[in-house]
Amino acid sequence: MMTAIRIEFLKWFQTMKVTWSEVFVYRFNFLLMVIGPMLVLFFIKYNVWSSIYQGASGQEINGYTFEEMVSYHLWFMIVSMLSMAYSGQDLAEDIRLGRISSYLIYPINFWQFNTARFLSIECIQVGIVLITLSTTYLGFSHILGEFNPSAFFAGFAISFLVGVFWFTIQYTTGLLAFWFEETWTFRVLFQIIAHFLSGAIIPLDFYPSWLVAILDYSPFPTLAYVPVKIFLGSYTELWKAAFTLLFWIIISAGIAAWVWKRGLKLYTAAGM
Amino acid sequence: MIKATGLTKRFKNYKKPPGFFASLKSLFYRHYETNDAVSSFDVQIEPGEIVGLLGPNGAGKTTLMKMFTGIITPSEGQLEVLGYVPAKRDRLFRKQIALVMGQKSQLWWDIPAMDSFQLLQRYYEIENAAFQTRISELAHLLEAEDFLHVHVRKLSLGERMKVELMACLLHEPKLIFLDEPTIGLDLIAQKNIRDFLRQYHQQTRTTIVLTSHYMADVEALCARIILILDGKKGFDGPIGEFETLLGHEKNVSFLFSQQQDPTDSLWQKYDAQWNIDYTEVDLRLPEEKLREVCANILQHYPVTEFSTEKMPIERVMKTVMSNPKLIK
Repeated sequence: MMTAIRIEFLKWFQTMKVTWSEVFVYRFNFLLMVIGPMLVLFFIKYNVWSSIYQGASGQEINGYTFEEMVSYHLWFMIVSMLSMAYSGQDLAEDIRLGRISSYLIYPINFWQFNTARFLSIECIQVGIVLITLSTTYLGFSHILGEFNPSAFFAGFAISFLVGVFWFTIQYTTGLLAFWFEETWTFRVLFQIIAHFLSGAIIPLDFYPSWLVAILDYSPFPTLAYVPVKIFLGSYTELWKAAFTLLFWIIISAGIAAWVWKRGLKLYTAAGM
Repeated sequence: MIKATGLTKRFKNYKKPPGFFASLKSLFYRHYETNDAVSSFDVQIEPGEIVGLLGPNGAGKTTLMKMFTGIITPSEGQLEVLGYVPAKRDRLFRKQIALVMGQKSQLWWDIPAMDSFQLLQRYYEIENAAFQTRISELAHLLEAEDFLHVHVRKLSLGERMKVELMACLLHEPKLIFLDEPTIGLDLIAQKNIRDFLRQYHQQTRTTIVLTSHYMADVEALCARIILILDGKKGFDGPIGEFETLLGHEKNVSFLFSQQQDPTDSLWQKYDAQWNIDYTEVDLRLPEEKLREVCANILQHYPVTEFSTEKMPIERVMKTVMSNPKLIK
């Protein structure tokens, strides 16, 4: 039994190692991976909110001071770094161009291969996040707020679950390449909707209460607003968030398995 | 080893006329056509054989390979490979087969071949000691020691094919599928790959199914040929009998001291193949007319050299491909 587990572990771990090797081949790409999110935060979100607060008469908007707003977006950046690094773009291209044939021959399942890749990217992102947070704490600790270890670890755990959810979504939309030439539209569409409804652009406190009540039945608040609040130490329903995410992960993984089974029947291994 | 009965694969495609308006129209209406890429195909391949699948582009060779390996699902018919149904993609089945695609790399592009081998070692559950021995043996046989640690994208086509072969042989598969393994390679590299495959087969008696457009590959490696035309089997038998597809004919070459008139009726009767300055010709002569025609040419034309041989497989293929009705 232990041997079987060890063999399985080695398969996953070696796949992760190969993914790391691939990521580190292109040094400039890797550098962009590290500093890209920070640049986006600074040049776009910081400047936009700075202008909004300059135009506002009071010190607060909907209960948020400027510093609190920047803190909210900084923590959202951390959540997104931990949860949205995997892209289904390559997967869709591999299907369209018939490149998944190798994975149908190797004795490892396609979902296992991609999940191992997701986990390896997730590990890199954890490293990048720790570096980003350490440097930010050194210079701008007042924006991040006081370090709260339990909130910090809870935030990481929930962000990982958000990452698993995004992975299943990316994987499923990537698999749509069995039917569609281009699948990025599905991904972008879902991302835009999720950005609006998850609190990634504006905190959900700004939304009408009836809409927030409806969103409570969807996975969206747990994708941005909830993990940010957990990091900030102001959200206590940790288990509710975890179970909500697990529920939606199971649903989307089930859909992915169904799509794979159906799609594979249409696969022609073009170009071989 | 492989047993197929009534194997059929149907593809549904839509045809779109050229132009913008046709593209616009295709948003609302599409004319679909269903084609049989492989139709009612029966075949049995025994352990230890090397079988060459031959046929023109689009004949169905690769579609057959894809069905044998479980990459695509047959539309109809029964198929059993190593006692498994390939389309079910049982993990034990996948551990016993290998596929090399000459036109598609199966190794990870951005990392050295050795990293890919280590990954495959884990997938195929090969012990470390056995893996190291296997790598040394294969690298030595293929003279690949120098580039195992170079990124795959930086390898030449010949080097890449060597590491592709290494990757597919690491787990000592019982059944190997080679789809155009020498495509695009220079003559030396082609010969190296052929020699390696012949030697490997002699040592291991592994079953190999090969497709290639290079007749030299087929002649050097395959004892048995299966010809596929329009998805159907045109010939299945020993390579020595392949030439009998065209009846009992001989290939005779004549070299002349001066240019000849290719419109002469004598040449046209025997499927003459001329060189560019019409000083050399290859004729396809029925065995019973061999003496008579040769004597006539030697007597009436300025022949400086002539030779006769069995019909080269390449010539048979060309003839069959340009006139498939010959064997229908």
